[in-house]
Amino acid sequence: MLGNKISRRSFVKTAAVAGIAAAAQVSLLDSFELTSAAYADSEPDVKVYKTMCHGCINYCAVKVTVKDGVAVRIVGDEDSGINKSSVCLKGLNQLHTLYSPRHVLHPMRHIERGTNKWETISWDEAIDLAATQITDAIKKYGPYSFFATGGGGGAYTGGMAYDYPFGYGSPNSFEPGGAQCFMPRANMAPLTYGGRPPSIADSFLNEPFKGDGSTKMLVLWGAQPSISQTALSGRGMADLRNGFGCKTVVVDPHFSPDAAKADVWLPLRPGTDTALVLCWWRYLIENKLYDEQFVKYWTNLPFLINPETRLPYLAEEVWPDYVNPAADPNEEFSTPAYVCFDNKTGAIAPFPFSAPEDSPVDPEIFCSAEVNGVEAKTAGQIYWEEAEPWTLDATAEYCWLKAEKIEEAIKLYAEAEVAGIAHGVATDQMRSSSEVPLGVNGLDMLMGYVNKPGSCLNLLSTQYKDRPTQWWDPFGMGRWCNATGVGWCTGKTEKWNRERVENFPDKDTQAQWWQRMEDRAGLKEHKGFLWQDNCHIPTMLKYIRSGEPYKPRVWYEFSGNKLAMLGNAQSWYDIRGEIDFCIQQYPNLTSFSFEFVDLFLPTEEWLEWTGSASILNKKFIFAPIIHLGETVHNEVPSRRILAKAKEKLDPWPVSDVFPVNRGSMTEKEIQDNTAKQFGAETMEELMADQDKFVPVVTPEDVYWKYYQHLDIVSDGLPAGFATESRKCEPYCTLLLRMSRTGFPFTYPYELPACQDYNPICVNILPVEDPTTDTEYPYVITSGRVPYFHHGTMRHAAFSRELYPAPKLHINPETAAECGVEDGDWVKVSSRRGSISAIALVTKTVAPRVLWMERFWNPEAFDDSQENPDGGWRQCNINVITDNFVDSDFDHPYNGPYGSYTLRGFTVKVEKGEKPANIWIEPKEFEPFLPTLTGEPNTGVVF
Amino acid sequence: MKKCLVINLDRCTGCDTCVVSCKFENKIPLGVYWNRVIPVGPFGDFPDLQQYWLPAQCQQCENAPCIEVCPTGASYRDENSNVVLIDKEKCIGCQTCIPACPYGVRMLNVDANIVEKCTLCNHLDETKEKPACVVTCCSGARFYGDLDDPESDASKELAKYDESCIHSLPDIGNGPTTRYILSPSIAEWQDVF
Repeated sequence: MLGNKISRRSFVKTAAVAGIAAAAQVSLLDSFELTSAAYADSEPDVKVYKTMCHGCINYCAVKVTVKDGVAVRIVGDEDSGINKSSVCLKGLNQLHTLYSPRHVLHPMRHIERGTNKWETISWDEAIDLAATQITDAIKKYGPYSFFATGGGGGAYTGGMAYDYPFGYGSPNSFEPGGAQCFMPRANMAPLTYGGRPPSIADSFLNEPFKGDGSTKMLVLWGAQPSISQTALSGRGMADLRNGFGCKTVVVDPHFSPDAAKADVWLPLRPGTDTALVLCWWRYLIENKLYDEQFVKYWTNLPFLINPETRLPYLAEEVWPDYVNPAADPNEEFSTPAYVCFDNKTGAIAPFPFSAPEDSPVDPEIFCSAEVNGVEAKTAGQIYWEEAEPWTLDATAEYCWLKAEKIEEAIKLYAEAEVAGIAHGVATDQMRSSSEVPLGVNGLDMLMGYVNKPGSCLNLLSTQYKDRPTQWWDPFGMGRWCNATGVGWCTGKTEKWNRERVENFPDKDTQAQWWQRMEDRAGLKEHKGFLWQDNCHIPTMLKYIRSGEPYKPRVWYEFSGNKLAMLGNAQSWYDIRGEIDFCIQQYPNLTSFSFEFVDLFLPTEEWLEWTGSASILNKKFIFAPIIHLGETVHNEVPSRRILAKAKEKLDPWPVSDVFPVNRGSMTEKEIQDNTAKQFGAETMEELMADQDKFVPVVTPEDVYWKYYQHLDIVSDGLPAGFATESRKCEPYCTLLLRMSRTGFPFTYPYELPACQDYNPICVNILPVEDPTTDTEYPYVITSGRVPYFHHGTMRHAAFSRELYPAPKLHINPETAAECGVEDGDWVKVSSRRGSISAIALVTKTVAPRVLWMERFWNPEAFDDSQENPDGGWRQCNINVITDNFVDSDFDHPYNGPYGSYTLRGFTVKVEKGEKPANIWIEPKEFEPFLPTLTGEPNTGVVF
Repeated sequence: MKKCLVINLDRCTGCDTCVVSCKFENKIPLGVYWNRVIPVGPFGDFPDLQQYWLPAQCQQCENAPCIEVCPTGASYRDENSNVVLIDKEKCIGCQTCIPACPYGVRMLNVDANIVEKCTLCNHLDETKEKPACVVTCCSGARFYGDLDDPESDASKELAKYDESCIHSLPDIGNGPTTRYILSPSIAEWQDVF
């Protein structure tokens, strides 16, 4: 760790330029080695450190060479297991962005919003100013006047923003991801089988990359790992395909590199995923390609469903005297018995939980039967009837695909020894965000691709001693269930759960917590937000705009560029006058800083940062290798502001036991706590001998576990799954119950009912339809390019010279219709507005389909611009997306998660012009090149 | 001795990391590139498309035309490594070599007024370190070594493939040494130069 040293070169340079006084000034902040010109001319001091890259949401283990205190080289760490020596250009860009003139090194106050004129202030002043503004608002308007946001990449902050407002008694935080990225696909895994999400867009999906080729076939559904996470899951895919011969199918409107390498590419019409999912269901069922034994005994598809409640019948509802042989005599664990149609007897029968070979019934999966005088269908039958219209031909016509390609893809998937479907971000960005992952998880369950070596639905090292359970609070961690006495534990009985909440001692905290759930923006309609502690973004905007039912007015942004990341950017720009005070913490200024922010708090780039993350069975460290100016770890300023606010506000408006991630008062605390994860007492000890402590390795035979549902647990039965039925639930009963009361998150309290959330995949129409839209006849979708992650790195010169402006991928037929030629500037317009891009005439998209990367332009407020602007209007796809705040569209959002549509909406294209204030030529990006390599390595601020 | 790169296009996904890692390692200014990645395609009838990415840099020709045309001897073959290099002290920036190269992989560094190209990172100690683009490659597609040495990384990767999968850029008598692997199952090789 170099935090308390000034480099020789820097010192000599400083002394030469400003004399010894300047050096003395530095010495007030830092201890440093006194040196001489002769010493500076000596052999360079070169060290190589282990750390992790935080250039995207995957984390690659890397090694960084530091020469005379300056980071000069980054390569992958061969020890990593997936990325090996690979590191992508986003990671390499850290050598520029760390030392970029855009890396802010001191707290700053905006002299006036929209001017980019800033006044440097001290950290003490900054923290006092933030705390004063927040507490003044709370005194005047109450705690709901404060809210926080995160997401958008590059801030290294996830959970901090989610629950930070709770510390002040406010219920509201959001991130532009959440409902539109991560939450739907991730939450669907615990809901349907109590395991890890098969999400390749982050680090959840490990199994295909463990290096033994056990995944024989992989479907990438709306995922592009070779672009999004190039060095980690991208490298993993290259090794899987080329090293082990894994077959792949790519479902993506865009001919991505993964599609180019795939055995089958299905370029479906953007927004039509649910129809394709149902087609796969239909084909597998019709051709009896599913795993019949697994479906019968390890899924809830054979359960007969009460047509009134839409929930499975319990055996006791039909036979009141029925004695459930799997019931826990201690009434702690819940293992219900259901009702099926028994092929052995030709009649309905109780279906108790047991090992398949011990089952008293042979359940029929697809049938109807009379139950309590009512005709009831099995969950499997309900799914079949939903899928039945989606023949290969009907689906091909609707999705703009070829029927034979769909069939070829399904056969590859179904005939593999082990296969799996990996999700990406794309399906989160449509109003079918819950239905698609629900449907594709269900496909893996239909095929029995669960808990097997090579499958995507896996529990990794999880092992059960008792009937599996899971808490229902953010990320299933049990943190707020235990701290507030609110929330349900699946796998435990109603009696056990009721007694837990009734006996919870702190009734005041319990009531306050519930109140904040009830008052959170958009929660009554979109109750799934409770899994990620977010509020509904468009509802929040309406609250800010109207002041009803309350007016959020002080904003703490934990990340980068909300104007580039939020749908319908103009609608957010329009409410900037409603925000009394806006705080942002981030490493560099963005459009949001330019337009909204009053107080900017500089946080660390990843070579300055401290943390840890795992790759497969190895835990690696984010090591604090460099430290410039007065940047701070992202968990420090919010904690200090909260502490300062408490000095200013008495009485404090909220329970102190709320489960708030408050962060840390000092960087030293963060560093030493991290070091302890690796067995070192302090970060200094760890950094002195990294090889001794890093990585922490979990033995392979402990980390890689399979078939856990078959392990016999304390009740003498197979463990099963951590769901209500103890089986996989492709018919998702919890979604239905969630829509009606907020169960299981809000237990014992109840939110008002809204429209039922779909318990299975049903076809969801896209919000805008190019087949009927005559004014905007094309459908556009988006995705990433390898040069940027989220809104980051637009100020990285080596990325921008290669990709200076977004390219609109347009099919030659469509280009001809629009009178557009390759390389032309084009104007892309939706009903929300227009943006500019450069046409790439290519067959990577079908006729009438368009594709482009989102964008923003930090050069628009470079000092060299005569009329600077925020750089979010020129090329930002979120100028043309919609958040439906001013729409009369019926149910524009996904049910449980409130997702709005960022992909698959209609546009028109015409020739355009290069917009003002943007750079295209490589040399224009010179102002982004490093200027801070001469900065001393400073000590921590706090 | 034939020191060169072998690039497996079955693996390459065109991410441009080799371009950027080269620039960082060799301190190359904006607008100058010692290697580029050329997207080839997509070609075919939608949706039956093929595409691959062709990383192009100095091909380490056996009869290098750049050496023949250089008026000052700046372009030369290193007698120890047999690698084609440019002596920056001798280069006068006349650019005669640029059109002489069949593949257009030499560029003028305007700031320094010298022509530059891939050096196979000859400033590194090759007993310890491989060229930066080989190390960082995000798809594990790049291999470095002496094709006359069957134990080199480059030779071993080539040995995995049938002759029908092994390609080089067009040879007009210059004898490019660099080899590309592209299986017909991924895409048909195209002559793009």
